[in-house]
Amino acid sequence: MEAKLWPTLQAVLNGVLTGSLYALIGMGMALIFGVMRIVNFAHGAFLMLAMYATYVLFDRLGVNPYLGFVAAAALLFVVGVLNYQLLLRRIAERSDFMQILLTLGVSLILSNGVQLLFGADYHQVNIPLLDMNLHLGRHISLNAPWVLSFAITAVLAIGMFLFVMKSRFGRALRAIAQNRYAASLMGIDVLRTQALAFGLGLAAVGVAGGLLLPVFYLYPGVGDQFTLKSFVIVVLGGMGSIEGAAIAGVVLGVVENLTSLYWGNEWALVVDFAIFLLVLSLRPSGLFGSQRV
Amino acid sequence: MRPRWLVHAFLVVLFVGAACKGSRPEEARSFRIGVITSLTGPAAAFGQAHKNGYAVALAELNARGGVLGKPIEVLYYDDQSKPDQAVQGVAKLVDQDHVPIILGAFSSENTRAIVPAVIQKQVPLIMPTATAENVMESGSPWIFRICAGSDTYAGATVDFLTHNGAPKTLAIVYENTNFGQANAKSMKTVATAAGMTVVDEEAYQASSPDYKALLQRVAAKEPEVVYFASYLLDATTLLRQSEQVGLSPKYITSAGTGFAAAEFPTEKGAGKYAEYTFSVAQWLPTAKWPGSKEFDDAFTKLTGAHPAYHAAEAYAALIVAADAINRAKSDQPAAIADAIRKTQMTTPFGPVQFDAKGQNAHPVLVTQVQGAQYKLVWPADVAEVKPVPTPAWSERH
Repeated sequence: MEAKLWPTLQAVLNGVLTGSLYALIGMGMALIFGVMRIVNFAHGAFLMLAMYATYVLFDRLGVNPYLGFVAAAALLFVVGVLNYQLLLRRIAERSDFMQILLTLGVSLILSNGVQLLFGADYHQVNIPLLDMNLHLGRHISLNAPWVLSFAITAVLAIGMFLFVMKSRFGRALRAIAQNRYAASLMGIDVLRTQALAFGLGLAAVGVAGGLLLPVFYLYPGVGDQFTLKSFVIVVLGGMGSIEGAAIAGVVLGVVENLTSLYWGNEWALVVDFAIFLLVLSLRPSGLFGSQRV
Repeated sequence: MRPRWLVHAFLVVLFVGAACKGSRPEEARSFRIGVITSLTGPAAAFGQAHKNGYAVALAELNARGGVLGKPIEVLYYDDQSKPDQAVQGVAKLVDQDHVPIILGAFSSENTRAIVPAVIQKQVPLIMPTATAENVMESGSPWIFRICAGSDTYAGATVDFLTHNGAPKTLAIVYENTNFGQANAKSMKTVATAAGMTVVDEEAYQASSPDYKALLQRVAAKEPEVVYFASYLLDATTLLRQSEQVGLSPKYITSAGTGFAAAEFPTEKGAGKYAEYTFSVAQWLPTAKWPGSKEFDDAFTKLTGAHPAYHAAEAYAALIVAADAINRAKSDQPAAIADAIRKTQMTTPFGPVQFDAKGQNAHPVLVTQVQGAQYKLVWPADVAEVKPVPTPAWSERH
C-alpha cells in the first residue's frame, strides 16, 4: 500500500501545480464566455502571444520571466480591450458562427504574424531556478518554478474571483451576463464593461503565458493545445463560472497526472476529452458550479 | 444558392489551374528538384537543418555546373510538421511544379504519409531521415532511403550495451507517432533477442509540458537502461523532469533525433541535462569519409554551427539525386529512378548503394555527450573516448 501511496501523492501534487496554470487559462475563457457568450478560439494564440512577450523581455532586456509575466498581462489586457473594441463589438449582435470565425481568424493572424516576426524556430529560457527541486521528505519532490507559479496563480485567481464577486465592476459584469438589455437599462455601460472584461480575461491568459514560458518551450503553434484544454475546463466548470473553471483546471491537471501514472501518458488526452463529452451530454451545466459571472 | 456558388468556385479553380499550367515555359532554364520538409511547427529545428544541408549541396553542385547543363533549383514545400500537409506537398510539387524527383520528408510520420502519393504520381522519392522501418514496406521501385532504420539503431545500441556493463533491464520511452513507435518496436525485439528484459514501455504525446507521472512509472520499475525515442523539445523536458522524479538509470540511451540534434547539448536545447546521454548517430563531423570535413566546414561557414547527421543526410540525398540525374541524362522520373537504383558513389555521408528494396546499407555509431559535445564511443575500434555510465542526478551538481 505504502509503495503506491507516495507516487500517487507525488502525481496529485504535480497535477495541482500544472492544474493551477490550466485554471488561470480556463478562468480567462470562462470570464469571456460568461460575459459575452463569445467562444474564444483565439485563446491559445493569445497565450502564445503572452509567452512571446515574456520571452522578448527575457531575451532582449534580461527580465526574469517571473517579473516579465506582469508586463505580458498588461500587454494582453490592452490587446484584449482593442480586440473587443475594434473587432468583436461589431459582430456582437450577429450569429455565434461569426464570432467563431472571427476568433479563429484572429488566432491564425496571431500565430502566422508571430511566425513572420520570430520564425518558426522554438525558443526556451534557461534560468537557474529551473534546476531547483524542493524535497519534502524522502519521497516527494517538487520543481521550484512550478511551485512559484502555483503561488502566483493562487493569489491572482483568488483576487480575480473576489474582484468579480465583490467589486462594483464585478457586479456590472454579472448583471450583463444575466441580461445585457436589462443591465444597460440599469445604467451600466455595457460596451465599456465588456471591453474591460475581455481585457481582464486575456490578462489572466497573459499571466499564465508568462508563468508557463520557463517550464515549457515556445513556438508559434504552442497555444493550440491550450485552446482545446480551456474548452474542456469551461465545460467542466459550468459554462462561464470562473470559480468553477478554477476548480475544473486543477481537477483536470490532477486527472491527467493520475491517468498518466496508472494508465500511461497516451491516455491523458483521451480521458480529457472523454470527460468533456460525458459532462456535455450528461450534465451540461457543469460539475463545479453554475454560471454566476 | 450554395451549389451554384460551389460550381463557380470550382470553375475558377480549374481556370486558374489551367492558366498556371499554360504559363509553364517549354524549356526551363533550371532543373527543378522538389524537397518536402518541416520548416515550421514543432520539428522546425530539423527542417532547418535539412534546408541548410540542401543549401550546402546545392551551392557545391551548381558551382560544378548543375545537372544536364542547367543549374539546379530546389523547390521547398513546408509540411508544417503535419502529415496531411506533406501529402499536399507531393501533389503541389509534381502537378504544379513538375519536378521529376522528390527528397523528403523529415519525420517518419510525414514520410510514411507521402509514400502512397509518390508511388501514385510515379516520381522517385529519396528519404534522407525517416528511420521507421514501415516507410520502406511498400517495396515500391520509386522509394529509396539514404539513412539507416530503427532496427539498425536498436542493434547498435544493444551491441554497445552488451560490451559495456551488459545491463539486464531496459525501459523504452517513446513519442507516440511513427518514429517513436517504430523505434520502440525495434528496440523491444532486438533487446529481448539479446537476453535483456524490457521492464516498461511508455508512449507519450510530444509537445506536452508535463511528463512527470510517466517518468514516475518508469522510475518505479528501476530499469538499468532507458531508451528514449524523442524529438528535440520533448527530450529536454523529459530529462529535466527525470531529475525531479529521481529517474536515474545507469545508461540513458536514445534513438538519435532529439538526442542527436546539434542544439541538444547547448543552452538552446537540454544544456547540462544532455551531459552523459548516449545516442545513436548516422554521421559525425569527425567522420573519416572523403569530403566529410569539407562538408562540415562549408556548413559551419553557412550557419555558424557544426552540422548534426540530419543535415548530412539531406546533403547526401541531393548529391545522390544530382548524380543519378546526370547519369540518367534525362528529366524523366522513370529514367532517374533507374539511375538511382544503380547508384554507387562515396559521399561525405558514407558510401551510398541501394539494395533491391531501395535501402542504403548505412552503419550506425553510438555517441555520448561529454563536455557539451557528441563524442564517438562505439564501435570500439573508432571510438574517440571511453563511455562513462550516466551518473545519478544527485551526484552531478
